[in-house]
Amino acid sequence: MRRSTLTSLLVLCLVTAAPAWAQPSPGELTVVLSSLSTEALDPILAGHIVKFYLSLMFDYLVGATPDGQLSRDGGVATRWEASADGKRWTFHLRRGVRFHTGDELTAEDVKFSILRALGPRSTTGYAQGLRQLVKEIETPAPDRVVIVTKDTTAMIPTLLSRLLSTEGMILPKQYVEAKGDDGFARAPVGSGPYRFVEQVSGSHVRLEAVPSHWRLGTPKYKTVVFKAVPEETTRIAMLRRGEADVVEISRERMKEVAGAGYPVHLRREDGQIEGWFVQPWAQTPIRDKRVREALNLAIDRKELAETVFGGQASPAAVPFGLSWSFPEIKFKITPEMVYAHDPGRAKRLLADAGYANGFPIDIFAFQLPGFPEGRAMAEAIAGYWQHVGLKPRLIPVDYPAFRKQWFDRTAPGALGYYNIANRDWIGTYALIDKYAAPSAKSASIRDPELDSLMDAVIHQADREKTYALMRSIFNRLRSEHLGLPLVYYHTPYATSKRVPRWNPGAIMYELNVDELLAGK
Amino acid sequence: MRRFLAVRLVQSLATLLLLSLAVFILARATGDPLSLILPMAATEEDYANARRYLGLDRPLPEQYVSFLVRAARGDFGTSLRARRPVNELLRERFPNSLKLAGFAMALSLLVAFPLGVAAAARKGTLVDTAAKTVAALGQALPTFFVGIVLIEVVAGRLQWLPAGGTGGLAHYVLPGVTLGWFVLAGLMRLLRSSVLEVLDADYVRTARAKGATERAVVWRHALRNALIPVVTFAGVSFAILVTTAVVVETVFAWPGMGRLAYEAISGRDFPVIQAVVLVTGAVVAAVNLAVDLLYVWIDPRIRYG
Repeated sequence: MRRSTLTSLLVLCLVTAAPAWAQPSPGELTVVLSSLSTEALDPILAGHIVKFYLSLMFDYLVGATPDGQLSRDGGVATRWEASADGKRWTFHLRRGVRFHTGDELTAEDVKFSILRALGPRSTTGYAQGLRQLVKEIETPAPDRVVIVTKDTTAMIPTLLSRLLSTEGMILPKQYVEAKGDDGFARAPVGSGPYRFVEQVSGSHVRLEAVPSHWRLGTPKYKTVVFKAVPEETTRIAMLRRGEADVVEISRERMKEVAGAGYPVHLRREDGQIEGWFVQPWAQTPIRDKRVREALNLAIDRKELAETVFGGQASPAAVPFGLSWSFPEIKFKITPEMVYAHDPGRAKRLLADAGYANGFPIDIFAFQLPGFPEGRAMAEAIAGYWQHVGLKPRLIPVDYPAFRKQWFDRTAPGALGYYNIANRDWIGTYALIDKYAAPSAKSASIRDPELDSLMDAVIHQADREKTYALMRSIFNRLRSEHLGLPLVYYHTPYATSKRVPRWNPGAIMYELNVDELLAGK
Repeated sequence: MRRFLAVRLVQSLATLLLLSLAVFILARATGDPLSLILPMAATEEDYANARRYLGLDRPLPEQYVSFLVRAARGDFGTSLRARRPVNELLRERFPNSLKLAGFAMALSLLVAFPLGVAAAARKGTLVDTAAKTVAALGQALPTFFVGIVLIEVVAGRLQWLPAGGTGGLAHYVLPGVTLGWFVLAGLMRLLRSSVLEVLDADYVRTARAKGATERAVVWRHALRNALIPVVTFAGVSFAILVTTAVVVETVFAWPGMGRLAYEAISGRDFPVIQAVVLVTGAVVAAVNLAVDLLYVWIDPRIRYG
């Protein structure tokens, strides 16, 4: 009896384990990432960190092309224009767009969604900026929305587009009001090409295609599953076993996976590793421009890129200079801008500033999602700085502990860093604002000239003049050495052999999964 | 017996109360969760709004009493990170942990009993050496190492079993073996030494003198009397497997309580941390009580009350 029970168990295991059964169904695309972040399903609770799956469930007011340009084909608005004074933005809506409930998407839904994204419950990344800009929203017709701003601005379409966060996602007003905020957050409904089916926290989010959608036609895959698998060995084994179609891999194991015959796709310059000094640094050596330059010159960025980042990174030159913003504003990094690795000059600059014998400097060492090299990089920086006579002290912490000290300003002059996702120029402007605006807890730069340039951008409606101001901002950040630009890193993804071609795109926190799903 | 049960229940409640106070204070000492929830550009006003919205602006004693009253009703509040009711998260994660721990425990008991008893009955033989080697490896090899090797070889190269995630019975094998091996090692060593000790006892010699077969001596007379420490160890191990299998759950992408605890601690998610610790405490108390009751069944000489 016992033996028969054991045999049955064994047979059951083998039957359920048969490799053929492990293949995802032909109609299912499985994307396996190290984390699904907060796993939130309500756009206003999630922000950009989960837009890679939310953007399949919801449509944006303004669409974007995979290479990061605003698009009239990818959003609910087919065209938009500003009034002469740049204070009234009119969006013309696509007709016939329906939510998964069957209700038609109208201007009222757009107004409701934007106001909700600006409300007190919202924790999205650009809500604060929009609150400062938006005065009111008018709905003169079911297919027309007018956003009235308090001041002249050119930023509204981008702020409500797929290029940035989730403020531009359109929700069904009636459904949200009927279900309440909590009900909606558990069973979200949008108008995107996939509808929400199931979420198991810590495990996966499952979506199912709507029969036909204006954005993707009839999608190639009936279901899409986003899975959270923290351990890389497990993700790679899932790829080998055919349990996954797209997996996030590390820069370290890229060659091994490619060598095994799996296509590897790079999101080039996915982000910038940027270092900054915790405020207030007016009473620390960091206040001296020569010291900041010396700290930059001491670092061998090429070596960092080749060793710590396994060759999957390239040197960065401008503090907070996110490269996807450069083409539109016509900014170019000149050879003179690239920091040479010059320890001799760094020592001389330190001596000129009165620190010939160096000074103690704290470096917080932590890892971040998508940046497992964090601690190794901090150790390398400590080595470079020690080489020019400084006395660096490494403080191993987890990121939340560092963030508390940064926001509470209890570690003046200490070095912090982040893997900042690359983005377009408006996103970059908003990011610099977070580091420079005196009222922000995250403020890490104090430079009155930069403040005036930042202020001028937001009030400028003329596009060319705005671009010129942005170029001045980058030049100012570089010439004053207002940060520690380290490298642009590339992020690799491996795909199963049934997904040979894929462009992961150049949109912040997006993976361009649309390309894998598009059926038209 | 009723008095014993009542006393143990009161003791357990007092322990949980102390635990709730400790976790309430310690969780808040680790940092402000709002700095992780709110965007970087958030102003003091945004922080004040969020504090008010989440009830974090009230005095700490008031927050604690409110937490206790709600917890007594089985309501652990809303996760600050996922913005979902904590109960929902527990309902999703706890059964997964229970099932995996149950599988691992069953596996280790199935192997530990015959192996431990055989090792004791045939001390010094090849069987004993093999059993001791299995035990030494199980205790010496870290679970993350065992897990990764199994994934790499069994799932990745041989492609026999799923690498991670939940699903059918096949999904339980690799995490179950990884978790179970560690427990099996302890169980087997304990069983071997307990049986060896009992095999020298007078009543065992008497049984042998009366002509009982060696099988009957070992399995009927010796094993039952050797069970008390083994049951205690198994009970505590089961409670630990259910609630704190962080490493195995992470390596095998198993959405259980251990990973929930890790995610909550990383995100300074107070309500979830509090709930996980209290549930863990309750599981440990319940298992300890169950073990005490099992003693009576194993050894009828034991009386409570």
